[in-house]
Amino acid sequence: MPLLNVSPVDRLYETLPNLDDIGIPARAPQPDGETEDTQAIAAAFGDRILAAGLQHDLPFVHVAPADLRDLVTWLRDGELAYTTLIDVTSVDLSELPNPDPDVRFQTVYLLRSLSRHKALFIVCPLPGGDDAEAPSLAKQFPGAIWPEREVMDLMGIHFADHPDPRRILMPTAWPNHPLRKDVPLGGEDVPFSLTWDHPEFDGLGDQILDPESLPPDLPPGMNRQNMILNMGPHHPSTHGVLRLVVELDGERVVNVDPDLGYLHSGFEKTGEHRRYKDFVYYTDRMDYLSAMNNNLGYVLAVEGMLDLEIPARAQAIRVIMSEMQRIASHLFWLSTHVLDISGNGMSLLMYATRERERILDLFEMVCGARLTTSYIRIGGVWKDLPEAFLGALSEFCDLFPGRIDEYRDLVKDSPIWRTRLEGVGMVSREDALAMGLTGPMLRGSGVDWDLRRDQPYSGYEQYEFDVPTSDRGDGFGRYEIRMEEMRQSIRIIRQALDRLPDGLYRSDDRKVNPPPRTELDVSMESLIHHFKLFTEGFKVPPGMYYHGIEASKGELGFFIYSDGSGKPYRLHVRGPSFNNLYAISGMSRGLMLSDIITNIGSIDIVLGEVDR
Amino acid sequence: MGLESNLKEGSLVTARLEDLVNWARRNSTWPLLFGLACCAMEMIAAGTARHDIARYGSELFRATPRQADLIIVSGRVSNKMAPVIRRLHDQMLEPKWVIAMGICASAGGPFNNYAIVQGVDKIIPVDVYVPGCPPRPEALLYGMELLRQKQTGEHFSKYVFTPEQPGAPASAEQALSGLAPRIG
Repeated sequence: MPLLNVSPVDRLYETLPNLDDIGIPARAPQPDGETEDTQAIAAAFGDRILAAGLQHDLPFVHVAPADLRDLVTWLRDGELAYTTLIDVTSVDLSELPNPDPDVRFQTVYLLRSLSRHKALFIVCPLPGGDDAEAPSLAKQFPGAIWPEREVMDLMGIHFADHPDPRRILMPTAWPNHPLRKDVPLGGEDVPFSLTWDHPEFDGLGDQILDPESLPPDLPPGMNRQNMILNMGPHHPSTHGVLRLVVELDGERVVNVDPDLGYLHSGFEKTGEHRRYKDFVYYTDRMDYLSAMNNNLGYVLAVEGMLDLEIPARAQAIRVIMSEMQRIASHLFWLSTHVLDISGNGMSLLMYATRERERILDLFEMVCGARLTTSYIRIGGVWKDLPEAFLGALSEFCDLFPGRIDEYRDLVKDSPIWRTRLEGVGMVSREDALAMGLTGPMLRGSGVDWDLRRDQPYSGYEQYEFDVPTSDRGDGFGRYEIRMEEMRQSIRIIRQALDRLPDGLYRSDDRKVNPPPRTELDVSMESLIHHFKLFTEGFKVPPGMYYHGIEASKGELGFFIYSDGSGKPYRLHVRGPSFNNLYAISGMSRGLMLSDIITNIGSIDIVLGEVDR
Repeated sequence: MGLESNLKEGSLVTARLEDLVNWARRNSTWPLLFGLACCAMEMIAAGTARHDIARYGSELFRATPRQADLIIVSGRVSNKMAPVIRRLHDQMLEPKWVIAMGICASAGGPFNNYAIVQGVDKIIPVDVYVPGCPPRPEALLYGMELLRQKQTGEHFSKYVFTPEQPGAPASAEQALSGLAPRIG
């Protein structure tokens, strides 16, 4: 490939191969090559497999909807042991070149084999045009119920035999399916220059649906003979704007039905209208308690598509930030959980936020922000660590383990704490796998799985750390796990600090990073390159890609369908809180009403991520 | 005010009732325990020991709107949430104040899309806008300082409800008819 080398400091202006030709936008290419698993699948299913192979080094299998259930059941029960369904998403293909009017949508499934450390993507093109129908996998994996409802709500794909075909995020009377390509992004001009007398304000609030649009229907499976109690969306203990419809027999919980979407912000649709580098700022606001982890998950997905080499120093900085964020998130979980259920009340909140503020101060030191950091960028991190940071961080590492003991001493012997956690919110190992739970929820049910160790990213394979698990399956087990995870995070941070490599904090690959300021004064090409990078953004080769990381609440994954342009054609977020929250119904049945609060805290949700 | 140490026993102090009431109100403004998104985390941070909102008498976050004087709209307001916020605001007793915390609650922020209401002032009146994404706890405390300035100059006449006012109910029956609970 000829490279245009015009820079005075002898840097390569590399563009991606064949991206300036007229073939953009393009469809994701058919998978090619093969792996052991795709060979085994092809051998077992023969012609029923439409295509199988690798794309961006990830195994993809294309299958017709009629064969989907057979394939998934075989994968789950057979030797390949793909026992967990991690994600269900969909793509509207109608604005890609050469659209097939009959196949407008495709669904994409991500299966994971925990025993073999493998992931497999199943793509299912759906015939039927606008009224496409896919088979529901609810019987095979209960964890598919909510993601399928989300696809149904946002994309308008029906699922045959779905047990609960209601909208999940948007209001019931919403007129369209927002993720479809023919539905505009929406929004309105911000009227900065208007006064209240302007006629525009006559129609004030027209955008907002009346509360009457909420139907009085009971959620399926609920019985009017019992008491139906509404918790939320404004409730002090639902950790945000979660609404729970609870069916009670006396004070005993018969059924719980979460009503989501009160914080639905349209991240996925917005992502399709932003250049790749500009979506980093949105990820902060999804799980606003772990912005660094969200940044990391997103940039790893984009970097994976670009095949970008990340300098070792940048990787180590990312690990440090990610682990600090995990501690901060767990501290907030601990303080609100204790505030909800234990007799200690406010005191632990005050103690835990004391340490959390120290972490936020450290974040402020490196990037100027406390919560919405946007520090981890595509290609590396925003700026190098300031000198004072390392000292301040190691001081924190010395101090913090003692503080964890302090928190533990505050709650461990509290009879209220133990009684309200032990044996409450049970999730069995089988259920956890079937529901696609991740993070401490999965490890609390005795499944030894952590993406940092089992599918390492960003250099995690260099660090020694333990993955705490618990066979208890109750809230107390998850409490113990999160406490231990904070200690292990400190261990990782210490190792990263000890051998923090020198070098670049950001890749010098000009595909994604602008030339330095000094070069712009002397080189016209640099100026043009800079201009194009900030107006058009860099282009990403066509294809589908997914990358998951172990965020503080579980597996956070980003699925990107690129059409080769500077913006994602489809961006999907697999939020751990969303999938984990599905467990609340099973966890709470048969318990007392107050145990629902315990379970919400124990799952550790952030509504920004649940509703997206 | 240091009065108790300077006054002799049995002394009298004269003041305008409005001033006294405003003084009491601005030093014990109880916010609603109500968080939406990222800004709510900074609101909680403002309530903890380091920033200590209790210095201004606002540490008592009430979970019910009936007992709250102030609603801090801390985060983006979705279309699904908008009627709920409107209802919460309606349920608060006069006098009541609203702080739009952060750019999302002020004007929609980065979420100019189908899901988010472009500023909470489209559904409820706002007294103070606090810019930031999210605003630091100090910024929220400054916003509350601005609110206190506003509270200082309030007059009782603002809360006298006369039938001539636009939007006022013509009779007690009409006023009550709008309050019938909607139970599905």
